[in-house]
Amino acid sequence: MDTKDDKNFKALENIHEYEGILSQYPAPEPGEELIADIKVKIAKALQHKSVFRRRVYKMAAVAAAVIMVAAISLLFEKGGGEPEKVIYASIIPAAIWESTDLAADDAELATLTAEIEETEHQILSVQFDQGNGNGDKALVELEAELIEINSDFWKG
Amino acid sequence: MRRKLENMAGQDDLEQMIAGCKAGNGEAFEQLLDIYAKRCYGYFYRLTGNKAISDDLLSELFVRLVVKIGSFKDGSFESWLFKVASNIFYDYLRGKQRQKKLLEGRKAQFESAAVETGQSHDERLDELQRQLEKLDADTRELIILRFYSQLSFRELAKMRSEPIGTTLSKLHRGLEKLRKLME
Repeated sequence: MDTKDDKNFKALENIHEYEGILSQYPAPEPGEELIADIKVKIAKALQHKSVFRRRVYKMAAVAAAVIMVAAISLLFEKGGGEPEKVIYASIIPAAIWESTDLAADDAELATLTAEIEETEHQILSVQFDQGNGNGDKALVELEAELIEINSDFWKG
Repeated sequence: MRRKLENMAGQDDLEQMIAGCKAGNGEAFEQLLDIYAKRCYGYFYRLTGNKAISDDLLSELFVRLVVKIGSFKDGSFESWLFKVASNIFYDYLRGKQRQKKLLEGRKAQFESAAVETGQSHDERLDELQRQLEKLDADTRELIILRFYSQLSFRELAKMRSEPIGTTLSKLHRGLEKLRKLME
């Protein structure tokens, strides 16, 4: 009795033998014209593929450029602090604005504000005391003092 | 022992050719065509029995290779090539109008063959084609695929996603039947 391996081996032998039938009846071969035609089609397909690739690269380059421009624009927009700096510089002394010593700046601003408030208070007091006789002179002194303080303020 | 259909390029040459194809080299594709055109044409012809359709399918195969060659990574190139060829054949069959045309063509072919008496060499070729037609479609495709692709039984089984024993058994039974039909 044949073993399984023997059966498989016999089957393989039979397959090789039977396949000889197909060798005896070869199929037609492709004509030279067909081969030449296929070569032309291959060349066209390669050209098309190349053009397509170039288009894709071009589009990718354009897309990258658009993204770069957008990113740069966003950066400039975020850097919008610059105009604010200019606007506040006209109100706050440049020395204070540009200074990085916040504690010192705060103290200076507090002093200036206190001086302004005190001067305003004195002006008001003088205005109420106009009837005392020396009011005009005191008012002139106070105004001069106020101008001096303001001048110091803006100089920083 | 099976007869080689044509001289095969060495493995190194084939790898170089495939690399050339992937790089978009037209000459590499032409070399590939020169090597495999006969086998692929035979495969299509034995499946369709029609030269004009085989011409179209062979053209379609090599144009599709230009697009698909990048997807071939490693393993047997022949296995990959005939898988693409097989897909092209089934795509063709799926086209309803073309399928109808094929069936009508076959019918006319059988009718004309039936009234002929003597057999010339060319008609003997048709005899094989006629007997192949009597096998079921799956067995017929397996026999033709095995013969023209020259794939090993293991590669065939892998390609068909079935156990090697099943492939061997189908092939053996199909060829045995074909042999009896041809006697």
